[in-house]
Amino acid sequence: MQSVAAILHADLDAFYASVEQLLDPALRGRPIAVGGGVVLAASYEAKAFGVRSAMPGWQARKLCPELIFVPGHFSEYQRLGDAAIDVLRDYTPEVERISIDEAFADVAGSTRLFGEPAAIARLVRARVRDELGLAISIGVARTKHLAKIASQVAKPDGLVVVDPDTELGFLHGLPVELMWGVGPVTKARLADTGVTTIGQLAQRSPEAVERLLGRASGRKLLDLAWNRDAREIQTHRRAHSVGAQSALGRRPAAEHVYRPALQHLAERIAGRLRAKDRPCRTVTVRVRFADLRSVTRAVTLRAPISATATLTEIAVDLVSGLLRDHPEEKSISLVAISASDLGGATLQLELPFRLRDDGSRPGTRKGMARERADRAVDAIRARFGWEAVAYASSQNAGGARAVPDAFRSLAEKEL
Amino acid sequence: MKLRIERAALLKSLQHMQSVVERRNTIPILSNVLLDASGAKLALTATDLDLWMVEHVAATVEQPGGTTVPAQTLYDIVRKLPDGAEVELVTETDGRLLVRAGRSRFHLPSLDREDFPLMPDGDLPHRFNLAAADLRRLIEKTRFAISTEETRYYLTGIYLHAAKTETGTTLRAVATDGHRLARIETALPKGAAQIPGVIVPRKVVTEMYRLIEGADDDVALSLSDSKIRAEFNGAVLTSKLIDGTFPDYQRVIPSGNDKMLEVDAKAFAAAIDRVSTVSTEKSRAVKIALEKGKATLSASSAENASATEELAVGYDAASIEIGFNARYLIEILGEIDGESAEFAFADAVSPTIVRDTTDQGALYVLMPMRV
Repeated sequence: MQSVAAILHADLDAFYASVEQLLDPALRGRPIAVGGGVVLAASYEAKAFGVRSAMPGWQARKLCPELIFVPGHFSEYQRLGDAAIDVLRDYTPEVERISIDEAFADVAGSTRLFGEPAAIARLVRARVRDELGLAISIGVARTKHLAKIASQVAKPDGLVVVDPDTELGFLHGLPVELMWGVGPVTKARLADTGVTTIGQLAQRSPEAVERLLGRASGRKLLDLAWNRDAREIQTHRRAHSVGAQSALGRRPAAEHVYRPALQHLAERIAGRLRAKDRPCRTVTVRVRFADLRSVTRAVTLRAPISATATLTEIAVDLVSGLLRDHPEEKSISLVAISASDLGGATLQLELPFRLRDDGSRPGTRKGMARERADRAVDAIRARFGWEAVAYASSQNAGGARAVPDAFRSLAEKEL
Repeated sequence: MKLRIERAALLKSLQHMQSVVERRNTIPILSNVLLDASGAKLALTATDLDLWMVEHVAATVEQPGGTTVPAQTLYDIVRKLPDGAEVELVTETDGRLLVRAGRSRFHLPSLDREDFPLMPDGDLPHRFNLAAADLRRLIEKTRFAISTEETRYYLTGIYLHAAKTETGTTLRAVATDGHRLARIETALPKGAAQIPGVIVPRKVVTEMYRLIEGADDDVALSLSDSKIRAEFNGAVLTSKLIDGTFPDYQRVIPSGNDKMLEVDAKAFAAAIDRVSTVSTEKSRAVKIALEKGKATLSASSAENASATEELAVGYDAASIEIGFNARYLIEILGEIDGESAEFAFADAVSPTIVRDTTDQGALYVLMPMRV
């Protein structure tokens, strides 16, 4: 761990909405939301009314009747997001981008050239403002976790530098939900035991926290509460998994609901596995019920797969098995697939027995035919666009989709 | 029940019993071994409800009777007793079993023998004798290929059947996991001509093998469509068979492979093992490039390690490059008893045949890897 605060976490403020207001001056100063069926992003003006991302459109309109919905300019998000991160790269090569609009940067090696970390952060903020017209908030601290918290505290349009001597005082006064890994469920669980600030969490015994949150996540969270975070900036990441999720609103827990959703997710994920030549051996599905509770189930396969139809079959099997085990849950609000244990391009071929389950095995003739068909689809899409060709079975999912595919691509893009 | 028995004989039988007993049982009595003393013998029985093992061991019975006690605990006790000890087993008035040897005394809880599940009756119409050595060979050379995939339950055993060949009928054992296949045959024993084709579960194969380990007497095998029984030296193993259809395996054994390679089996396996060291993937792929008189083995890893080794081999056909899972190759080569192995290739994506040049009754088929 470093002894000086030289890690920056830079995060563009209300990014999508800010880009829309940048592109259309008439939207400036007004509450706007990107999306339609679902709020993908809201401007600060809209957030003041309580509008939040992932909120259903009708609910957002109820909270804020003047809310303006805009469809979104996804290629502009990509261009401006890239440009903002490039500004950071002007000051250090040690940049780890974690999404379209945020990145970590380690400037410990750049101080002789550009000045103190705080000065570099001020330069970055000024340049992003002048060159791109966007507000970017930056947190500066000794660890990644604390830098990210500091940038959240800095918003909107601010800079917070946490001095190593005062970091625990800073950290312990803040609410727990600012921490990485504390979502609504964990927050509620902690609140039940009287923990609402990071300081209160830090005072709990490791045993108590582990009992409450499980061994691994309990220990991790407690370490973060004491600002023990040894993670370094990773400039080149080899992906360990590929995943995507689909929010459904509140729908019945029935196959006609989740199959098309899973098929759509599988199409995206399998396409990315094929693009990297990294088929997966483990498939994990997650289902979120009507409350915020979610359940996962995983299977590890004998041979790594990357065919869309095979991934769909496996995901549907896992989800139906999972729902069978939770018969009391009548509705679901989200399904997700994650592909991990990524392998290489070698493939054990199967003896040509021609058995009934051949199709789902990548090393059989049928299995290889599936993959060839998928690669042909990939080639057509690369040339004529995603919509040019698709599985007939995934077509009925189209109408119900609240989030545009362009947005998904952006969110899932390898950075 | 009251008896005295020699430790070594009891230990050997208990070894078989504790192996049959499953480690985790929802029905408590299935963790127990049934002891039944009468005449000059102690009968031991263990079951997992699919497989029954009954064994008779000579004992000095002072008072006939029986009980059931935890198989694993009794085995562990007898195992730790000194060599040459005499063990005394006595049922006590409180229902427990007293185990006594020298100055050691143990009391084991028991469960009522009346509750011990009985083996279902059934006729086993086909009966034949097979030399223990022949049965051992059928098992040894096929069991590595048995599938572990529960979804393909019909591949999780050895397919035993009488097969007609050009030279007559033979007794065949076949096992496959979908990637490789082993087919071993032996002369058809008298009385086996009409046997049904049966799939013998992996566990039965293992227990049967343990029973005949190191022995060379005959094993009496009895069969029906749904059951198998092996009788050997006072032990009787009876089991259900796998209820399924073994796929038509002849279909995956190619007949036109004409690229022949002859290698020293041990040297070839050692070279493959060396080269595959650098391969970090689970599959451990190794590539074989063949040209006249020479084989080049190579392997590499995603982390940029690589290895090659050249070998002088008997090869006279067109050049070919083909990939395999190194472990599969090494396992098959390990079953070659003679000095040399003969490979027959077609191309890089089709089944390859491996034979022992000194054993025409053994044949292996291996599917390549796409590398």
